[in-house]
Amino acid sequence: MDTSSPAVLVNGDLLRGYVGQRVRTVIQVVRPEANGLTGRSTDEKQIVVKGQMPAPLTTFVEVIGVADSAQSIHAEIVTNFGDSFDTSNFNQLCQLANGEYRHLFI
Amino acid sequence: MSSTSIPRQVYLLASLNPYQGNWTIKVRLTAKGPMRHYNNTRGEGYVFSVELTDDDGTQIQATMFNTAARKFFEVFDLGKVYYISSGYLKRANKTYNCVDNDYEMTLNENSQVEEAVNEPVLIPETKFNFVPIDQLGQYLHKKELIDVIGFIQHVSSSMSIRRKVDNEIVPKRDITIADDTIKSVIVSLWAPLATGIGNKLLDMFDASPIVAIKSLRVSGFGGITLSTITNTIIDINPNSPESHKLKTWYGSEGSTTKFEYVGSTFKTGLINDAPSLYSDRVGLDYITNNLSLGEAKPVYYTTRACMSFIKTNQSMYYHACKTCNKKLTNNVGSGYSCEMCKTTQTDSNLRYVVSAKFSDTNGEAWMSLFADEAQTIIGCSATELDNMKSKDDGGAYQTQLKKATWVPHVFRLMVAPQEYNNDKRQRITVKIVSPVDYAAESKFLLDDISSTQS
Repeated sequence: MDTSSPAVLVNGDLLRGYVGQRVRTVIQVVRPEANGLTGRSTDEKQIVVKGQMPAPLTTFVEVIGVADSAQSIHAEIVTNFGDSFDTSNFNQLCQLANGEYRHLFI
Repeated sequence: MSSTSIPRQVYLLASLNPYQGNWTIKVRLTAKGPMRHYNNTRGEGYVFSVELTDDDGTQIQATMFNTAARKFFEVFDLGKVYYISSGYLKRANKTYNCVDNDYEMTLNENSQVEEAVNEPVLIPETKFNFVPIDQLGQYLHKKELIDVIGFIQHVSSSMSIRRKVDNEIVPKRDITIADDTIKSVIVSLWAPLATGIGNKLLDMFDASPIVAIKSLRVSGFGGITLSTITNTIIDINPNSPESHKLKTWYGSEGSTTKFEYVGSTFKTGLINDAPSLYSDRVGLDYITNNLSLGEAKPVYYTTRACMSFIKTNQSMYYHACKTCNKKLTNNVGSGYSCEMCKTTQTDSNLRYVVSAKFSDTNGEAWMSLFADEAQTIIGCSATELDNMKSKDDGGAYQTQLKKATWVPHVFRLMVAPQEYNNDKRQRITVKIVSPVDYAAESKFLLDDISSTQS
């Protein structure tokens, strides 16, 4: 397993702290775009994703890639996560993973 | 039994009293209960009750025992009109009688019941008065019976409960229903609904049918559950405005909404009524580290674990009597005999009795599994497994058991200490198996984390 550049679990708010770094998040697809999509994070922030998308897209997707700004990710891997997803659970996970338990994740 | 067609003086139900027995009433049968067998300190027998309504709208309950019960059970048909005389009136016993009348009637073999053949048969439409699920709290522990309507979220397997009052084993099935108040509630179906309608609902539950249920008792300790009584009526997908409204709501929002059990929080413990799968949550190490658990009376816990090991060379099922499920004695060469039913039979049901090891993040424990629970975990019936065992080299059998390991489930466990050759051991029995609801489990864990943090 390649652990050289681990992706940090983020939501909309936490993304700003990792610009230029590898991140992963789950977002709700709002609008597919020509070369990506616009999505809504689990803490209700807009996130733009650029890159190749799976077709067809489900309501929720996981995006792993490099954050190129506080609101956008350059995607390496996009995975369909289905049409039902508990966003509040994921949001709390992001907070725990970046809070006092971050040593367990990175 | 059948009178002549002399015109008779018909009395209104409202005019009857216990002190004047010379009456004839003309009533419609508006409800017919099932024939029930009873066994109490005063003896045993059969009983059934009916609800009678006259022209005035007055209603009265009439009960028949033994000979009279057998005599009139076939005579009484729902919706028909009857002339009845020579019955006994007494004060109504509100424990068994929910009909609105100070008196109740008993008919014996000398009572006269004659069908009024010239009257049209009118099967009364069940009148419902639905209580929205989020309002059930105000009916807790009241004698009042309520009606609900909701769509089916979950149907449990059939459970066997020993009734304390007469030691009889009765089947029970729990269904979870939800409505547009975004609350859900568990409804316990007791016999005969547990098997009759219960089986039907089990088959159709992924279509999320709408059920309208009349006459439920509200109970619960901290949480709320509904229980059926003898007179409970269940209508599946009724053709009513409330049903259509709920179906439409389900189609647009309901299927993706997250529901919460009415009146419950995760930490609520319910011991006697239907337990929430989040009450009394422990890890396996909690149970195995404490051998005196359940010393006075068996205790119950829920846990999330995987079956980690099952001995493939144990005898996993027994030949059971088709009527009473007791173990049959094998009369080699001439079939089986049942000690309980005192019959011999050539045919038997194979029923599971399994001992397996379970593991979770903190520990492991050996547990006993029977019937439905074993079937859910192993993934096929005892008969199917037996067929796999005798086929070829038993490869399919080994694979089936292997596939069953390391699958997470949520269990309701019964724990009690057990003496074995002067050795203090523990007996853990799986009573209920439930699939893991990952979103709910995550919430539960997050709850747990935040409560240990503070």
